[in-house]
Amino acid sequence: MKDAKASAGPVIEFRSVAKAFGGKPVLKDLSLAVGRGEVMFIIGTSGVGKSVTIKHLIGLLRVDAGEIWFDGQRIDQLDERGFYPVRRRVGMVFQNATLFDSMTLTENVALPLRKLGGLRMKAALEQARVRLGEVHLTEFADRYPAELSDGMRKRAAIARTLATDPEVVLFDEPTTGLDPVSARRIDRLIRELADHRGATAIVVSHDLTSIFTIADRIAFVYQGGIRALGTPAELQASPDEVVQQFIRGKSSGPMETPGF
Amino acid sequence: MSRRGEGGRIAGLFEGAGAAAINVAREAGGMVMLLGSVLRALVPPSMDGRELVRNLHKMGNRSVPIVALTAFFAGALMTIQSAPFVQRLGATSLAGWAAGYAVLREIGPILIALMFSGRVGANNTAELGTMTVTEQLDGLRALAIDPVRYLIVPRVVAMIVMLVALTAIGDLVALLGGAALGKAALGIEWTTMYHSFADNLGPQDFLQGIWKSLAFGGAIAITSCHFGTTVRGGAVGVGRAVNAQVVASAVSIMLLDFFLTYMNI
Amino acid sequence: MSDRPGILASLTDRITRVGEGAIGTVRAAFDLVVLFLGTLGGLFRRAGRPRGAVVEQMHIIGNRSVVFVAVTLGFLGMVMVYQTCLQFNKVTGDFSQVGVQFIRLIVSDFAPTLTGMMLATRVGAGIAAEIGSMKVTEQIDALRMSGVLPVDYLIVPRFMASVVMTVALTVLGGAIMWLAGGLTAQYSFGVNPNIFYDLSLVTGVHVGLGLVKSLSYGMAIPVVAGFCGLRAKGSSEGVGWATTAAVIGASFSVIVLDFIWSILGFMIFGGSL
Repeated sequence: MKDAKASAGPVIEFRSVAKAFGGKPVLKDLSLAVGRGEVMFIIGTSGVGKSVTIKHLIGLLRVDAGEIWFDGQRIDQLDERGFYPVRRRVGMVFQNATLFDSMTLTENVALPLRKLGGLRMKAALEQARVRLGEVHLTEFADRYPAELSDGMRKRAAIARTLATDPEVVLFDEPTTGLDPVSARRIDRLIRELADHRGATAIVVSHDLTSIFTIADRIAFVYQGGIRALGTPAELQASPDEVVQQFIRGKSSGPMETPGF
Repeated sequence: MSRRGEGGRIAGLFEGAGAAAINVAREAGGMVMLLGSVLRALVPPSMDGRELVRNLHKMGNRSVPIVALTAFFAGALMTIQSAPFVQRLGATSLAGWAAGYAVLREIGPILIALMFSGRVGANNTAELGTMTVTEQLDGLRALAIDPVRYLIVPRVVAMIVMLVALTAIGDLVALLGGAALGKAALGIEWTTMYHSFADNLGPQDFLQGIWKSLAFGGAIAITSCHFGTTVRGGAVGVGRAVNAQVVASAVSIMLLDFFLTYMNI
Repeated sequence: MSDRPGILASLTDRITRVGEGAIGTVRAAFDLVVLFLGTLGGLFRRAGRPRGAVVEQMHIIGNRSVVFVAVTLGFLGMVMVYQTCLQFNKVTGDFSQVGVQFIRLIVSDFAPTLTGMMLATRVGAGIAAEIGSMKVTEQIDALRMSGVLPVDYLIVPRFMASVVMTVALTVLGGAIMWLAGGLTAQYSFGVNPNIFYDLSLVTGVHVGLGLVKSLSYGMAIPVVAGFCGLRAKGSSEGVGWATTAAVIGASFSVIVLDFIWSILGFMIFGGSL
């Protein structure tokens, strides 16, 4: 099954991407190919550049060097306007959910339907309710984001991103700060996305439970590049001491962490 | 903390002035860029109508009471200032002239714009700033919705429309305030004051204030959106942005007022 | 929410809301007065005031506002004289009264009030943003826990600095207005500077009135702004709200105080003002 996906060619490819902030290099030479319909996890310690990596895909950040390809098209050189067609096909769920405070959940989800799907307000709101139902938020549809828990907000944000059926969905730490039950619900949503809708998911996470339950493949980012890449089983069997230290969550070992 | 010589102190002063100048130039450049993208977004005039209506409603609700109060006091104050002169000369028919002229052309538009900047502009900066620090603007971009088109343009249009409307209303309230004070403190009859206004003021006095308010509205809108969307650093950053916004708006209002007066529009 | 018939319910609802709003306003006004009195009391307590704080605040409130006040008042001076000359030009063409009346109004009103308005904007927003940020990050609670009165630590130094600096900036702003106005009169309307820069109408009453206004604005701005900052709630939104409220509150206090002092001045001195 996985071989069949890989043969179709990668949907997203990073080629030797480098990115520095204020003279401090974060990504040095990062190369990674993500196959269609795959659930790819990007893992690593805080501040290693995982979120930075995926933000390049929708043009929120620009590379200093290297190339990024999406579906056979080079996208790292596009300008802000050029990225809008890409953003219609690549959705992102942010770490802070980023729901709009001034709108109810339904209005939040209806916004992309109205703006991108070209639906009228009434149709968009109806559609939005259906989408909220898919993430089990029907009874909170008319509440404002501030009145809800983190887990609910995150689910609503996922519903909003999925409303326009993007081909690739980026998740930035979708389970961080959630209780275990909410976290597992979100895991299931991501897995279903790949299995039932054929979408590609790239998930930035350090939630070990998610990583080993739903990932097809895992990319371990370390010192500005990919240190290890493989299926969960392959990573668990990795002889690399650094990888072992991270996935076992040990405080001492060969891993160099900035700030400690 | 080390003591520097007199030369070092002066060099430091120049350094500070240079840094401040660069900072001002950077912010001004950012505002010009924002103005450019707002104008470009307006070329085929498409705008989210719901956002426009929502903003008009909210901005109007927020600012009408404070603007009306300010205008009333402004009119009254102008009458008080001319009162000693009028009383000494016994020229009550001139009371409306001085007060009305100052209110319509200068004090009305400027004070109303300053209050509008403090209320609506500051609020807009705080709101956009909060959206920026919580990544809601990036969230919009990730949804393939252009924040300039969706968020900024309706706000700019709403602020300009609202300030012009408020200035027109405020002018009337200010004249009323002037007349009320004239009656209360100087014993000038309402009708005398009315004739004094009507004989000495023309539509061009009113229109100059309105033109000014149009420009002030645009300046406040661009300033407040610029500082709101460039916030960095959480709650502290939002406070700082609001502070910078009110200062920059006040300076732009004064500069615009100067140029518009000289061009005699 | 209620099972009473619609109109009646919404009416009582509205009345309740207005009532609650009124109670809130009265309570806030009461708190503001308490804060003002607490600040006055704090002037005589040396203990809670950090060393060098007043000087530091004088720098932040005063020195950093110099350019702002100079630019805004300078332009206002030019515009006002220009407009006045334009009017005189239409009616009599006699400019001899422009300068002498202008300086009378600068001293008794324009300099203190316009400087006050500008400072209400800049200083008011700055104080509220700073204190509001400390409030939402629980630094104010930390102060209380360490036995320091927030009023002594935060408000009193700003109050002292503001009173001194508002008067100083008023003198500076007034001078710049006068100078800029004179230049405009000279270059745009050919008014002789010797006639324009005429102080003969300015009396001690004008100076006194201007000083009283200036002092009262200097007191009101930090107290109102600090009050708004201390009431900040939540996170970044709360700080933004507090800053906005401070700008409006402080500006409006300046307008109302100006109104009160001007009326009192006119009632006492009448036509001789």
